[in-house]
Amino acid sequence: MQYPEPIAKLIDSYMHLPGIGRKTAVRLAYFTVNMDKNDIANFAEALTETKDKLRYCSICGNLTDEDPCEICQDPTRNQSEILVVEQPKDIMVMERMKDYHGLYHVLGGVLSPMDGKGPDELNVRSLIKRLQANEAVNEVIIATNATPEGEATAMYLSKLIKPAGIKVTRLAHGLSVGSDIEYADEMTLFKAVQGRTEI
Amino acid sequence: MKISKLKLNHFRNYEHVDINFAPGVNVLLGNNAQGKTNLLESIYVLALTKSHRTNNNSDLIQWKHQNAQLKTLITKDSGQLNLELDLSKKGKRAKVNHIEQAKLSTYVGQLNVILFAPEDLSIVKGSPQVRRRFMDIEFGQMSNQYLYNTVQYQRVLKQRNKYLKLLQIKRASDLVYLDVLSDQLSAYGSEIIYQRLKLLKQLEHWSSAIHSTISQNQEQLTFKYVTALKQTQLHSVDSIYEGLKNAFQSERNREIRMGTTVLGPHRDDLKFQINHNDVQTFGSQGQQRTTALSVKLAEIDLMKAETGEYPVLLLDDVLSELDDNRQTHLLKAIQDKVQTFLTTTSLSGIARDLIHDPKVFQINDGSLRVD
Repeated sequence: MQYPEPIAKLIDSYMHLPGIGRKTAVRLAYFTVNMDKNDIANFAEALTETKDKLRYCSICGNLTDEDPCEICQDPTRNQSEILVVEQPKDIMVMERMKDYHGLYHVLGGVLSPMDGKGPDELNVRSLIKRLQANEAVNEVIIATNATPEGEATAMYLSKLIKPAGIKVTRLAHGLSVGSDIEYADEMTLFKAVQGRTEI
Repeated sequence: MKISKLKLNHFRNYEHVDINFAPGVNVLLGNNAQGKTNLLESIYVLALTKSHRTNNNSDLIQWKHQNAQLKTLITKDSGQLNLELDLSKKGKRAKVNHIEQAKLSTYVGQLNVILFAPEDLSIVKGSPQVRRRFMDIEFGQMSNQYLYNTVQYQRVLKQRNKYLKLLQIKRASDLVYLDVLSDQLSAYGSEIIYQRLKLLKQLEHWSSAIHSTISQNQEQLTFKYVTALKQTQLHSVDSIYEGLKNAFQSERNREIRMGTTVLGPHRDDLKFQINHNDVQTFGSQGQQRTTALSVKLAEIDLMKAETGEYPVLLLDDVLSELDDNRQTHLLKAIQDKVQTFLTTTSLSGIARDLIHDPKVFQINDGSLRVD
C-alpha cells in the first residue's frame, strides 16, 4: 500500500533536508500530521518567509532581512578590519564571542574544484572590490575551516590581498580551550607545538 | 605485541568466532575454501581497518547480514588493549578500549601486522603502484604523521587534478589558484618523500643484512628511490618542498595540456638492486623471491625499531612457496619473538622442528577447532 499523497509529499520534502533519511522523514511526517493547526500555520509561514524576506547582503554576503545588513550599517563597528568566513552561520558564532567588533565578509563556501567551486563561484570578487573601494581597511582576518580546502582558500586570498599592502592574518590552530592534552590527537598536538607562542 | 583473543561476528564465512591464540606460532590448517585466509584477513582488517583483498566493505560482511563485528584483545609491553571494529554498508566504527574513535587515523597503529602472501612477490615484480602501496601501508602503520600526510596529499591531489582538467578545457583560467594548489601539494608531498627516504634507508639496512645471509654473502641488496627530483634536492623537507614547487612551476604548461599532475610521490617508485643490477629486470626468479622475503623480514625489525614492539606476522600460504633454505631463514627470524599466524593445507611440507609448540587450529567451513 502507498502513503496517502499529502504524507508522501511531506516525507519527500523532509528527505531534502541534510542528515534526514527515509525513516526519520517518515517519523517527522507522521508527527507533523498530529501537530496543532496553529503550529502548522506558523511552521509553514516560517518556511516561506525564509525565501520571501531573506536575502544576501550586497556588501558582505551575510543573510539578512534588510540590505545592507545590520552589521554593515552599524557605524560604531571597527571599519578597519574584515573577518572572512565560509558561511553566514559562522558570523553568528563569531558574534557570540562578543570580542570582535569589525566587519565581515561571507565567501559562501571554499575553493573546491571537486564540488564545482572555483574563485568565480565564491564572493571573492566582491571582497576585492570592497577592499579597493574602502581605504580604511588595514587587516583581513581569514577564518576558513582548518581543512585542506579551507587552507587553500586562505592562501589564495592572501596572494590576492597582500600585494595591496593590507595585512592578512589567519586564525590560530591547536588545542581547544579547556581541553586535556592527554585526549588531543597527534596531528592537533603537532600543530599546537608548531604554532607555540612565547610567554 | 601479541593477539590474545579474537571475536568475530558475521565476518565473511564466520558466523561467530571466539578464540584464544598462542603467543608463538598459530597454524591455521584446513582444506581449500574453508576460511583460512578469511581469518588472517580479519586480523589484517582489525589492524588497518581495510582489507588487502577488497575495497568494498560489504564483501567482508557475511551474506544476508547488515554488519560485521571484529573484536580483539592484544597484549603489548605497556599492557592490554581492547580493539573493536564495526563494519556496515554505511561505513566503519572503531573503538580503542571501548572508546569510539572520531577518526580512523587515531585507531590505525594500535595493532601492527605484517602480511606475507604469495602475491607479495609482486613488490619486486609488479607495477610501481604496488610498491607505492607497500610503502604507504607499512609506513602509515609506523607513523601517524605519514598516514595523515598521505591522506591529505590524496585529497589535494584530487582537487588539483580536477582543476587542471578545468584549465585544460578552458573552463577555468585562474593560475594563482593553481599555484596555491601546487604549494599545498608540495608541502604534503615533501613530508611524504622525506619520510619515505628516511624509513627506506632503515629498511634497506636490515633487508641487505638478511639478504646477504640467505645468499651466503654472494649478493648485496640495495634500494633506490626513483623520483623526478634530483639527488641534491633530497636532503631535507625544505629542499624537497622547493624542488617540488619549482618542478610544478616548470611543468605547468605540460600539466595543463595533459589535465593531470605529472610528478610527486604518487608517481615515484622504488627499485631493488642486487650487486647494482635491477632485480625486476635482471634478477632470476630465485633472486626476486629472496628479495621479497628479505624486505618482508626486514619490516619486522623496522617496525620494532619505530614502534618499540614486534608486529604480528601473518603468513598466507607462503611456506609452500619457499624452498628449505628460505623457509629456515624465515622461521629462524620469527622464532620466539614474533607472534605468527600461518595458513596451510597440510603440515607435511613445513619444517616442524623449527616451530616451537605451535597451536594448531582445524578450520572447516567457517568453524574453528583446536587440534
